[in-house]
Amino acid sequence: MKSKNIIILSLLFLTSLVYGQQVVSGFITTSAGDPLIGVNVLEQGTSNGTITDLDGSFSLTINEGTTLIISYTGYETQEVTVGNQSSFDIILVEGSYLDEVVVTALNIGRKKRALAYSVGELDGSSVATAKEVNIGNALAGKIAGVNVSKPASGAGGSSRIVIRGNGNISGNNQPLIVVDGVPISNSNLGSAGMWGGQDFGDGLSSVNSDDVESMTVLKGNTAGALYGYRADNGVILITTKKGNARQGVGVEFNSSFLAESFVNNTNFQQEYGHGAKGVKPSTLLEAQQNGLSGWGSRLDGSSAMQFDGVARPYSYAGNNLGRFYRTGNTFTNSLALSGGGENHNFRFSFTNLDNKGILPNSGLDRKTFSTNTSSKFGKLTASLSGSYVVEGVKNRPGLSDSPGNANWTVASLPPSINVNDLIGDSNKPGALPNGTELLPGSNAFVNNPWWAAHQFETNSGKNRIFGNASLSFAVTEDLTVSSRVTIDQFTESRRRLTPYGTGYSPKGQLGEFNRNVQEVNLEATIGYIKDISSAFGINLLVGGNQQKNNSNVLGINGSNLNIPFLHTLGNLANQNLNHSVSKSQVNSVFGQAEFSLNSALYLTVTGRQDWFSTLTDPNGAESVNSIFYPSVGLAYDLANGLELPSIFDFAKLRATWAQVGGATDPYQLGLQYGIFAQGHLGQPLGRINGSTIPPLTLRPSTNTELEIGADFRMLKGRIRADIAYYSRETTDGILDGSVSQTSGYASKKVNVGKITNKGVELFVEFTPILQSNFTWNIGFNFAQNNNKVVSLLTPEDDGETFRLQESRTRVAYVELVEGQPYSQVQGFSYERDASGNIVLDENGLPVQGALAAFGTGVHPTTLGINNSFKFGDVNFSFLIDMKKGGVIYNATSAYSYRNGLHLATLEGRETGLGVVAAEDISTYYNRIGGSIGEEFIQNADFVKLREVVLGYNLPNDLIQDLPFESATISFAARNLLTISKNTDNIDPESTYTTGNGQGLELFGVPVTRSYGLNLKLKF
Amino acid sequence: MKITTYKFVVLLSAMLLFNSSCDDNFAEINTNPVVATSIAPGFQFTYTQLFTSGTRYENWRAALIYSSTMTQHIASLCGYWSGDKYSYNGAFSSSLFDRAYTGQVKEVQDLINTLEKGEEGDQTMLGMARIWRVVIFHRLTDLYGDIPYFEAGKGAITGIDFPKYDTQQSIYADMLNELEQGVGQLSTGGFGSADLLYGGDVDKWKKFGNSLMLRLAMRLTEVDASMAQTYVTKAIAGGIMTDNSDDAFIEHVSGPSSGPAGLNSNGLGEVLDQANGFGEGCPRLSATFVNGLMANSDPRMDIIGTPGSGGHNGLPNGLDATTILENSTGTTLAEFDQINQMLVTVSSPMMFMTSAEAQLLAAEAAMRGWASGDAASYYNQGVTNGMGQYKIFDASLDVDPAAVKAYLETNPFSMATGMAQIGWEYWVATFLNEYETFANLRRSGYPELTPINYTGNVTNGQIPKRLAYPSNEAGRESFEAAKTAQGLSDDFSTYLSAPVWWDN
Repeated sequence: MKSKNIIILSLLFLTSLVYGQQVVSGFITTSAGDPLIGVNVLEQGTSNGTITDLDGSFSLTINEGTTLIISYTGYETQEVTVGNQSSFDIILVEGSYLDEVVVTALNIGRKKRALAYSVGELDGSSVATAKEVNIGNALAGKIAGVNVSKPASGAGGSSRIVIRGNGNISGNNQPLIVVDGVPISNSNLGSAGMWGGQDFGDGLSSVNSDDVESMTVLKGNTAGALYGYRADNGVILITTKKGNARQGVGVEFNSSFLAESFVNNTNFQQEYGHGAKGVKPSTLLEAQQNGLSGWGSRLDGSSAMQFDGVARPYSYAGNNLGRFYRTGNTFTNSLALSGGGENHNFRFSFTNLDNKGILPNSGLDRKTFSTNTSSKFGKLTASLSGSYVVEGVKNRPGLSDSPGNANWTVASLPPSINVNDLIGDSNKPGALPNGTELLPGSNAFVNNPWWAAHQFETNSGKNRIFGNASLSFAVTEDLTVSSRVTIDQFTESRRRLTPYGTGYSPKGQLGEFNRNVQEVNLEATIGYIKDISSAFGINLLVGGNQQKNNSNVLGINGSNLNIPFLHTLGNLANQNLNHSVSKSQVNSVFGQAEFSLNSALYLTVTGRQDWFSTLTDPNGAESVNSIFYPSVGLAYDLANGLELPSIFDFAKLRATWAQVGGATDPYQLGLQYGIFAQGHLGQPLGRINGSTIPPLTLRPSTNTELEIGADFRMLKGRIRADIAYYSRETTDGILDGSVSQTSGYASKKVNVGKITNKGVELFVEFTPILQSNFTWNIGFNFAQNNNKVVSLLTPEDDGETFRLQESRTRVAYVELVEGQPYSQVQGFSYERDASGNIVLDENGLPVQGALAAFGTGVHPTTLGINNSFKFGDVNFSFLIDMKKGGVIYNATSAYSYRNGLHLATLEGRETGLGVVAAEDISTYYNRIGGSIGEEFIQNADFVKLREVVLGYNLPNDLIQDLPFESATISFAARNLLTISKNTDNIDPESTYTTGNGQGLELFGVPVTRSYGLNLKLKF
Repeated sequence: MKITTYKFVVLLSAMLLFNSSCDDNFAEINTNPVVATSIAPGFQFTYTQLFTSGTRYENWRAALIYSSTMTQHIASLCGYWSGDKYSYNGAFSSSLFDRAYTGQVKEVQDLINTLEKGEEGDQTMLGMARIWRVVIFHRLTDLYGDIPYFEAGKGAITGIDFPKYDTQQSIYADMLNELEQGVGQLSTGGFGSADLLYGGDVDKWKKFGNSLMLRLAMRLTEVDASMAQTYVTKAIAGGIMTDNSDDAFIEHVSGPSSGPAGLNSNGLGEVLDQANGFGEGCPRLSATFVNGLMANSDPRMDIIGTPGSGGHNGLPNGLDATTILENSTGTTLAEFDQINQMLVTVSSPMMFMTSAEAQLLAAEAAMRGWASGDAASYYNQGVTNGMGQYKIFDASLDVDPAAVKAYLETNPFSMATGMAQIGWEYWVATFLNEYETFANLRRSGYPELTPINYTGNVTNGQIPKRLAYPSNEAGRESFEAAKTAQGLSDDFSTYLSAPVWWDN
């Protein structure tokens, strides 16, 4: 096969004589002569490149006379001057990293040693084997300084990624996502709040892990400075797989099946049953009025009346969670075709992902079509890449508050009630024979869980296309002009049904809407690279960008279905129309200049000016709508510049400073009125739109960061370490500052506040054993981020607070508190006397004290340790993920106090507590569950076995008679084991939202462990 | 081909890089094409009136769950009907406060601001808006005590984001003055059909403004008799409501339960209407209410209640699903009277003030010697109007004049028991205007209700005296000062026991 390739490739080269362009090819091997697969071959100063094939060969069309940069993890990077030669046999030497190239802002490939900032890199395979439906969640524990929180919202949910801490009081704190140069929207499309809701996912859920070649995380301001205001929270650059020169068409098939089972974290009492005041229900009225109350008598096997008028044994009914949740699974199949020749290369892939959630009747399917092509016509290179993603989600789970949330009731049923008795009509789960909801009690807002799962609908569909077309023209050897058009567009359709016959809405409610979101960027750059002398080189770039965003929403919702059970918009007696549009534009110019001295000292300066439509007064009044963002960075390789002991392959010191910032949403300046022409009794209705006091002016926020660090490679790459210290200060945040509702408004748009994030990141990779048939690699990443909200509405630290989230219990909140880290979980404390004892009132009940902060919902310390082993054809790896220093308000436990489910509520049932009589003991635990936040704010630290992969590459002699080039089969598992946690009844990672207010839990979808097989075949 | 591409690339780059103006059209881009920057005063007035009638949210919580049960119009076995058991539920308690400032006060202040500029509307509109502002605020201060008043709702006008709390005393003084000024501004023009109360009828508005002045003035009988007398005199001299055609109510129609047009429905009906609303199953007429009507052979009994399985029978307050099993007047819900569905549909009118109330207040004023005329004749007119006020719900809900006459003959007014008689009639007549029932009950002390004493109640077994503020007001300086000034503690549940200023 190899020899055939050589002949074909050679023939191809002979026939390729386009002016100014040439095709080069070659083989890349180790010094032992083994072919190296997947080596990066890059045309210097461009993003034009390829990787080597299975037999170590590559082919690339390049501009005449340029230099190839050959890089491969674990090997010394080589620069190859092309000259007249068109075929190369290249031997890579292990253990030196001097010239590794990394993708940086605007997809510019730069030498790692020139960088004055820290980047995190991840290979595509590390997110593609033990898969998450949302790729963002697969990053957990893998990159120092990248804090990933997966919400308790099911497979279609979003991810929360925060790099180097939260800096913005309000608005977005998550990084910009760029796929092959295309900025894609990663907005959360809707999440649950105190009154319930669903997680409608985010933009990252459209990225298909099987298409990802690599990911680069630009953590700091300098790294992202060329993105200006968009780099406020760091950048994640995703590079997708490309075709490369090869004979024929390469076919890759990847199949993955992961089963998913719920983890039961609850440990509730099983001794006392349904009832009130220590008495079991004897009448239907009592059974219904007692609802979810577990304050009955001791379970004795006698008969007790239940919600449906049937008397059943008064004994422990068993594990309702296990009965209700099913084993979910995710089945992912992808097929990719790729190939290429002298001037063209392509890759086309199709992936089908089919998910069945653990919540009955829920799931997701996603189809991704991706293409990546590149062609050269003389000095002109044209490339086109993009993805079309069709996603459908059935029944996004209800979270937090009760209505529509099946999890609520299942986790709250008294021990003597069996959830299967709530099924009712087996053809219509959760229904009475007349088709309406079989309620578990008289409070109609507590849904039958089967009804919530099977009869409610919360469906959404998303069709998304994102991609780019780019042209690059090599004017001269040194000067390149490029332009790129990127588009990210999606339409989302959504349907939410509260069905006819629902207890709290007897005639039902229905809403449907369509949302269109579009972003188009037009970017042009001019690049100039020149070695002025053998010691001094320059690399210049200037460019401009025009970003246009458009969105509109059109929907109808209403209530009262006329014809029973006909769930259509036309059948709604009352209909509301929603229509909104949003439009904005940002124009930018930017530049970057890199100066190098003796390939050891690098100085880089950048600048970007952004102009924002959203900060421009609509009536033409004076407004500050523009800001300049500078950066400067210095990198010095001690090993190259000084005499260091020979154990150092490379030792870079770096320092950098940069300022970026942020803007706001459209239409924030000025009061607006809405009119409802359908009105009332023929009279139109008019009112003030919105609940925010409009500002007189706004200016962009700024975010300034100083970063210093070092990057070491020692012992021929056996030890690799990167350490960074950063200090970031975000000021003039644009936010809706909370005001007293008595002002008539909920908030006020202001430019305020100062938040600092200071921290260290440490990444160490160590290879204790490196033998031909056995290697052991340990990767260790650690980050400590110290966040401080220095000031909020006024510049002083005077104890001001800013509320981000409120719990449904209304006794716990997530707030920003001056002088404290972000996302303080606040709760009402116990009133205590001078010696610290809990004060009881005259009825013997604990007294609610003041609201106090009990810690941050964002863990400041994160640690990931990955061990990977390779024994011949077998590889094995496991990742330990740890977070420390965070707290969570455990509302499930608070409600289990109120309902008498919590183990602690056993005390006093027979004897009373203090002056509280035994029959009134529920008042005691109700007071704690309902009024005291402090009791349930718990340490959310954890250590988890996050990921385990055991893979086997079928040896050549096994597959030689089969039509495969290679075959790998792997066992993959996620979240197999929680090694340590401190929360009772819940997983510490159970926050129901990915919004800024982290640290509230309430009846989300239980966490799951998943495990299964992954098969990868290449033809 | 190569040249064309080259030119294209250079041109494109030049366009982007050297565009002389980097923010062309930005003002236009930043203008929302689907909203207005100003609005006709009539549209906003209609909205404000409708929002004052309210949404399901606060009508369910503050009006029904709390007020109607504390006043013993309604009783309930359901645990979350906190008012029946005098227990504290923060969100229920603060629900009117939570809705009124951001939905009612904000709009009425903006409307007054627009009208005061004089560029739009007329003086009559301004007068009506000022009177309506008092409608909104008196309910708030009666229910919560000292509240932000002078600076409230003006966030977008003055920029005041944390309005200071004002004493109820100063609020009452200003509200009475506002009513006087507002009535004085009523002449020609006005809102016309955009006025949901009287279709713009200026004469009816004058009577409404004066009757409201009478109501507010009589609130002060225990704390500032001289101011009370001054404004009672002004109100009656100005002309108060005399018959049912003067009754102030807003008509409703079936409408969606969410969004701004969610105001179309009667908020009480959205809770209680079994056919079109939520169909709340918890409430029953209170034994206090049914027993009282039955004892007087009140012809309104059949209008107000739908008999239980064994005839008219009220549910005693303060029971739950277990304790009812020991109840001597019935052990199942089916045995007790429901509220007549015809009064509480989603399209039922919402009462703000009736001529019955005005006449009964005048009767009390006459007893106090503050009004000329005969207390008995005011009383008789009040009772007569009270019997006639249900026709607007349905023409069939009328009391035969002979039955009215018989009722007045069986229950004649006497000066000796006049206060109690007026109090009882007022209490009956304000059924379904529960904020007013609760206020006048506290002020007058009539009817004399027997409180319940349910385990876990927060008032030591006394009828609550106000509702608690939203807890999110806690901590700000002005709130803390108002708290101290009113003798309130950190514990919001204790507020239910604390009388407001005029109740001292």
